[in-house]
Amino acid sequence: MSAYNLAALSFLLFALAAAGFLTCGSLVRMLMFLELMLNAANLALVALNPQPASQAYAVMLFAIAAAEAGVGLAILITLAANFKTLQAENIKELKG
Amino acid sequence: MIAAAVYALGALAALATLLMLFQRNPVKAAMLMLTALLATAGIYLALSAQLLAALQIILYAGAIMTLFIVALTVLPQAWRDHPARAPFIKVLGLAAAAVILTELVQAAAALKTAVRPTGFSETGALALAQQLFGRFAFQFELLSLVILASIVGAVALAAKRRDA
Repeated sequence: MSAYNLAALSFLLFALAAAGFLTCGSLVRMLMFLELMLNAANLALVALNPQPASQAYAVMLFAIAAAEAGVGLAILITLAANFKTLQAENIKELKG
Repeated sequence: MIAAAVYALGALAALATLLMLFQRNPVKAAMLMLTALLATAGIYLALSAQLLAALQIILYAGAIMTLFIVALTVLPQAWRDHPARAPFIKVLGLAAAAVILTELVQAAAALKTAVRPTGFSETGALALAQQLFGRFAFQFELLSLVILASIVGAVALAAKRRDA
């Protein structure tokens, strides 16, 4: 099992999630793909270095991902209340 | 054996992410995301990161997925029929992702000679805790500030909504 193959695997997961983030219009779905991108980055971190230090970093990234999901969903709820839509192309004003 | 498990679980995660792209029902998309996250937990297990596999299931598959399901339940807007986006935007997005993938794979060419040990070893909670509370103690404490800030931010956003 070469490190290159493991890196390619995590890059593939990242690119697929990035494709979803760029093509879908729904904000909830974009947040889901964002989490998957972070997950792929985490996988690369663990796969490329078998030391405990990289796993410690991965644990910290878990906490970052949880914080990101919490704030992101709070923003989505506020956007849904203000704009009555969750399609990215319908949200055009900066001043709610 | 371990390499085969890693590749099979990686293919499962990639397949689930790919199906998510074409899934219109948001809850089914969330279930596919859950599949991808659980497959990643399996990869962690195969890569001898047992504690991370457990944390992945508890945090990602447990907490974050529940948050998404609750958000889908609370937000009726997420269920509305999505208007079809212009096809050229989709093509543009897919092309951008393909460019990202090519660039990343090319940048990783230096890794071709590196070989990861395939044996199954045990990275216990003790080794991880020694890193978190020894070498990375400052970063770990800083992380609690990040989480506190995110809690305050989320509560402030939700409270503002109640006034309006």
